[in-house]
This record gives sequence, structure tokens and C-alpha cells, in this order.
Amino acid sequence: MRPLFHAATLCLLALSAACSRPADLVLYCSLDQDLSEPLIARFEEQSGYRVDTQFDVERNKTVGLVNRILQEAKNPRADVYWNNELAQTIRLVEEGVTEPFAARSAEGIPAEFHDPNGHWVGFAARARVILYRTDRPDEMHLVPQRLEDFLRPEVAAVGAMAAPLTGTTLTNYSILADAWGDEQTITWFEQAREAGLSFGSGNADVMRRTRNGDFLWCFTDTDDAAKAMDAGYSVAQRYLEQGTEAAPLGTLLIPNSVCRVASGKNQEAAQAFLEYVLSAETEQFLARSVSRQIPLHASVTAPPGVGKPGEDFLPMEVDWTSAAAGIQQRAAAFQELFVR
Amino acid sequence: MRVLATVVTLIAAWLPLMPVLAPLIDLPKLADVLDARTAGLLWQSLWMSAGSALGAILLGGSFALLTVPFVFPGSGFLKLCLPLPLFLPPLMTAQAWFGLTGMSGPWATVFTFAVCYAPLPGLLVARALSLRPASSSASAELLGPGFARGELLRLSILPAITGGALVFLLAAADFAVPDYFATVGELFHVYAAEIFGHSRSDDAFAGATASLPLVLLCLLVLAGAVVLREKQRVQEVDAKDAAGPRLLGGRASTLALSLGLALLTLLFLLPLGRILWETGMQGPESTRSWMEVSGQAFQDAVTRGRGDILRTLGYSGLAGLICLAIAPIWAHALLQGSRRRRILLTIGLALPLLVPSVAMGFGAIVVFNQPWLDGFYRSIFLPALLVAGRFLPLAVILLAERMARVSATGEEAAALSGMSYARRLFRIRLAPQRGAWLLAGGLVLAFGMRELDFAILLPAANRSAAVRYYNALHFSRDNFVAAYGIVMALILFLPWVLAAAWGNLRQGRRP
Repeated sequence: MRPLFHAATLCLLALSAACSRPADLVLYCSLDQDLSEPLIARFEEQSGYRVDTQFDVERNKTVGLVNRILQEAKNPRADVYWNNELAQTIRLVEEGVTEPFAARSAEGIPAEFHDPNGHWVGFAARARVILYRTDRPDEMHLVPQRLEDFLRPEVAAVGAMAAPLTGTTLTNYSILADAWGDEQTITWFEQAREAGLSFGSGNADVMRRTRNGDFLWCFTDTDDAAKAMDAGYSVAQRYLEQGTEAAPLGTLLIPNSVCRVASGKNQEAAQAFLEYVLSAETEQFLARSVSRQIPLHASVTAPPGVGKPGEDFLPMEVDWTSAAAGIQQRAAAFQELFVR
Repeated sequence: MRVLATVVTLIAAWLPLMPVLAPLIDLPKLADVLDARTAGLLWQSLWMSAGSALGAILLGGSFALLTVPFVFPGSGFLKLCLPLPLFLPPLMTAQAWFGLTGMSGPWATVFTFAVCYAPLPGLLVARALSLRPASSSASAELLGPGFARGELLRLSILPAITGGALVFLLAAADFAVPDYFATVGELFHVYAAEIFGHSRSDDAFAGATASLPLVLLCLLVLAGAVVLREKQRVQEVDAKDAAGPRLLGGRASTLALSLGLALLTLLFLLPLGRILWETGMQGPESTRSWMEVSGQAFQDAVTRGRGDILRTLGYSGLAGLICLAIAPIWAHALLQGSRRRRILLTIGLALPLLVPSVAMGFGAIVVFNQPWLDGFYRSIFLPALLVAGRFLPLAVILLAERMARVSATGEEAAALSGMSYARRLFRIRLAPQRGAWLLAGGLVLAFGMRELDFAILLPAANRSAAVRYYNALHFSRDNFVAAYGIVMALILFLPWVLAAAWGNLRQGRRP
């Protein structure tokens, strides 16, 4: 009986721990844990609020926390949701689990990154880029400059991209499907595969294989490209679709986004955090971090190596609401095509 | 006590499954879920899991066949090391073997699972061999070495298959390892990817619906294994009638030691060594030394990840304790009653292991996210219960196998003399198997430390060691990942190694 008694005592101790004081703010955060933790710690220090942060894993690509917010809707736990992209935030808005807010600190962010109804604001973005090896100068003509180059067999044979099942690649091709049409997009993938393009399971993964020399180039995000360059590999990045024609498509820019969860219990702390996270200082911090997030505040100077949209590259124009509306259906279609 | 065990199991294992069970028992949906594409994925999972099980049987079975029936210098140490590969996260082993050999694709996945889970059939074979009847063993040896070897193999087959079935279940449900090998080489998919894809859709339980074919397949394998285990039961003898190990000398002893060390190197030392080397790995243009990078990685692992490791140890340890309390009760129940009852009980207990982990997590949200359960929902008690509920079957099966060693006649005599159920269970049946009891709790702790998919959905488990590990892996923090994996593994190994060393020391002091 003694072991059982010990076990029961420990269970009681755990239960007593359950009665601990709840946090002042419950934050659901999909941005990389290592990146967001110092920012959240600084907020706690400055404001005196105690934050209970719940993270997502990268392989869930934010959907874990989004589904959790939807499942918890009857008894909401989160006050603020900080997403590392935008489409899933818009999905939450469409599901009616967010409420509008206003943050004065977000005034320097361009209007296209504000929800007209005040449910979300975008900030600190990543761009979709080509990462290529610089130690093969004879093959530079095989590094694509436009999406249609992906379909050329000699280019496709030495390149890779993530299958568009999750994350920014799914968002990217969901946006393109808005412009091209769903059937044309599927055909594009079939042609790319026939041309010899390799598909990996994530952006970081194709970056790793390019960095290690398996491919000449890959289609990835600026934060992954920055990690390869910082770690001392012979690689560089290039923006796509910057051509000289009358209306080039431009490079897709995917911002972080924040929203306030409806019926959150800690309104005051939530407002303080929204002001903090949307400030120019936060963007400055993220721009100087290992993931080199692109600042959107006009007042923030981009550090060396971080391109400024509109100055260093042409960003793509995006109808985010339309892209978010079609993303689930397209994810299912891409799953049929790639998971076999 | 049986009521207590049933209540705890109900809360920990069966209640969170309630919201998932509706799509799972909707068999007509099977036709909607299965088409040519998903059948292809299911086939891929089937052969890969079967291959992993076969590999684990070969590796783990060989290890047990070498270290249990024979005594040679180092055999005791090797026997103690048998469970160690279970404490290494499979993803870490996958990274290590990719780094060592550059292997990728489905066969690399099969190899990794075989290496990681080899101790499961190994432990069951070891137990069966230590229970082989002295009389038949002596007769076989009299007939010649060929007969003796045949006898050992014959006794190993059924427990090896039972262990292989457990490996099959764990390999079939794993998404991370095949995803990793698809990432570093040619893209391929297993059925778990289909479940994972659906788990990311609007409907949080779509993953459970999609898992139906795999759950049925696993149920079939499990039922087969349970029936085989029942068959094996009649071959067992009491420990006092079991044959002792045979002393090996000369070249045979050197050969056995070399083989044992080779197996230990393959299963454990090589992957661990490679990961250690990866803590200081850098690109060719880097100006920092290996020591500098590795030291920084370990420093980061301890400073950034310490809180997560302690939190994970907290709820996984509590889960281990819960299993220490209730697993013996269920294991005892598995040794009694009719054959049909035992089969149904095993399947009932194993159900949480068959359902996708992420569906169990969403089930827990639906059931436990209530305003009146606020404190409990935020506490570490919730993840502890869920970890206990999910991995209880592993503890129960292991313990049942070990408790069967203890003669039932002693317990029957104690019952006739009026001894209570609790005393009979803990003093007569369990006391001689204290090591296995602790190992069962330790296994639950180890599996709890590795759990990701439902841990991330629960407030108190969200900031866990597994979450930090997987995030760092996906964000290419290779040095940190390697150092953090080693820190996690050391935390799991150390108590095991110390307990084993202490046990050996005490045994050595006995007259």
C-alpha cells in the first residue's frame, strides 16, 4: 500500500499546484518560439503583466493553435493571437471568434496590412525568395527569375521547393490560384513535376538540401535563406518576378498578424500587448533577429541584408480575404496531388 | 482499488476519446475514406511498419538471445543496456543515421524504427528465455548444441511476435520520422501523413475520421498479438523451475561479447555519438571551432530549454507515478479471468494508443475545457493524466508479462488466509518484480517526454521539451537540436543507469 500512498500524495500536490494564480494575459503565438520569447519577456518586464504564452509547432503551420481557438470558443482561453502569417488569422475572423481593436502604435504600418474592420493588423513580414548556391557560377543561368522558369527542364532539374501542403508555400499558391485559376495551378504543378522539379516537405528542408549542395536553388522564405547565409554556407537570395515588363507580378510578402480573441478575459493586458507588438521597436528587433523579418513601419530602417518592399524589391499585390477563403479547399486539392 | 483504477483510466484514457469515437465507429465512412490513393498510402504504412517490426525482432531478439541464456564477461552490463534505445527520441535517431550514412526514403524509416523499438521485442524475449523450463532445456542440451539453439529460438518466437506487434503500432502511427526522411531525400508519404493533413483542416476531428483504416489495421494486428500471447501463456513455468544461464568460456565468450558490443553500438552508441558530433557542426565558411559551437549549443540547451524540460519531467513523472499505481492492477486483471475477457481488456486499454494523438488532444479540450474545471484544465494534472492514459497499455503489457513469472499458488494461499487484495497484489505478485515495475513507470515517463501532438494542445504541457525540440529542428537550429536532444536523453538515462548500477552493487554485496 505504501507506493500507492506515495503516488496519491504526489497527485494531491499536483492538484494543489493547479490552484495557482492565472496569468494576466494568455497569448497564443505561432511565431518561432526562440524568436518571440525574448520579445514577450521584455513586454513582461516593461508592463509588469505576467504572460502565459502557448506556442505552436512549426510543422502544424499555425493550424494547431487556430483549431484550438475554434475548439475553445465556448470558453475562450486566449486573449491575443499572434500568427506568423495572415491567411489563418482571416479564417478566425470569418469564424467570428475575434473582435476589433485599435492600436496607435500600428499607425506607421501601410493601410494594406490593416483589416478594414479592425480585426487584424499585419507587421514584420517574410518574402518568398530563391535561395541559390554561389559556388557554381557557371550555372547561374539555371537560377530562375520568374515562376515560368520553374517549368524549364534544365532549370527544374537542379531546383526544389516545398510541396504546397502547408505554411507559406500553401498561402503562396493559394494566392496564385486566385490569379491563375485552380485548374491552371494544378496543371502548373504537374508540368513542374514532369520538368524534373523536386518537392520537399518544408521550406527549411529544401533550404537545408540546397545549402548542403543537393540542389542549385530552392524556392523558400527569407527567414530560412537568412539562416543558411548566417551559418556560413555559400548561398545568396534572389527576389522572383521583378522583371522589366509593364506589370511584373512581384514577390509575395507574408506578414505576421495579430488579432484579439472575442470574449478574452484580460482586455487591459491584451490592449497593452497589441500596442507593444505592433510598435516600430518590435519590428526593429525582428529585423535584426536571425530570421531577418522585413519591417513594414515606414520609420524602421532595414538592417543590411534585409530588403525593403517597394525600394529593394517589388511586392506582389494580394487580396488576402479571397486567398484565405480558398485556402482550405486548395489545401485539400494539393493533398490529393502530392500525398500519394 | 479496482474501482480506483477504472475511474482513473476512464478519466485519463477513455473520456478524452469520447468525441473521437463517433467517427471511429462509423464503419460505413470507411468506404468514403478509402480510395486508390489512400489505399496506396495504407499499403505503404503496412509494409513499412511490418518491416520495422521484423527489424526490431531481429535486433532486439538477437540481443536477448545473446545476453539472457548465456553468461560471459560483460553480459550483465549488456542486459542492463537493452532498454536504453527506447529512451532516445526516434527523430533524434533518424537525424543521427542520416548524418552517419546519408540514408533516406522508406527503408531508412524502417531501419530507424527497428533500431529505436528493438528493446520492445527484446525485453519480451528476454523474459521468455529466463522462464524456459529447466527440464526441456537440459534435454535439448543433451541432444546437442543444434537442439539447444532450436529450443531457444522456439521459445523466442511468440514473445518476439508480441513485441513486434507493439512496434508495428508505434511505427504505423508515427508521422515525424517518415516526414524527416522524406525531407532529406526523395519525397514519400505514409498513411499518418493523410491523418496529419486532415488534422489541419477546419474540422478538428477530421483526422480521427481519416484514421479509421489505420485504426482498424492496428486493431487487427493487436488482436492477433493478444491471441498469440494467450497461446504463449501455457508454455510458461514458475521461476523456481526455470533453467539458469550457461557459462561461456574461451573463444565463445569473446565472440559473444563482441557481438553484444556490436549490437549495443548499432542500437545506441553510434546514434548518440553522431548527435554529440552534430552539436558543433558548422558550414565550411564558418570561422568558429567545433568546441566553441558545441559549448554554445549546450549552454543554449540548458539556459533556454531548462524550464521546458523541468515542466515536461513534472507531468511525465506524474504520469509515470499514476501508471505505477494503476498498471499493476490492470496487469493483475490481465492474468486472471477468461481468455475472451483478457483479450477485450487488452484492446480496451490499448485504444488510446491506436487513436491519433492530436484527436485525443482535441477530445480533451472538448471534455475538460469547462468553466468549472478551470484550475484543473490549466494544471499539469491534465497532461499527466492524458500521458498516463495513452501509454498505460505499454506499462500494463510489460508488467503483466513480468508478473506472470510469480507463482499464482502463493497468491491463492494468501487469499485463502484472508490477505487483502492490495497486499496480495503489491507484496506477493509485484514485490519480486520491482525492477519491471519501475521500468514500466520509466517507459511512461520516457514516452511522455517525447509526446508532441496532444501535449501542444494542453495549456500546462504546451511549453514542453518536445515542442522546443521540434520547433528548433524545423527552424534549422541544428546545433541546438543536437545538444537539447542529448540533454533530454541524459535526463532519461541517468536514473536508469544509476538504478541499474545500484542494483548490481547490492547484488554483488550479497553473500
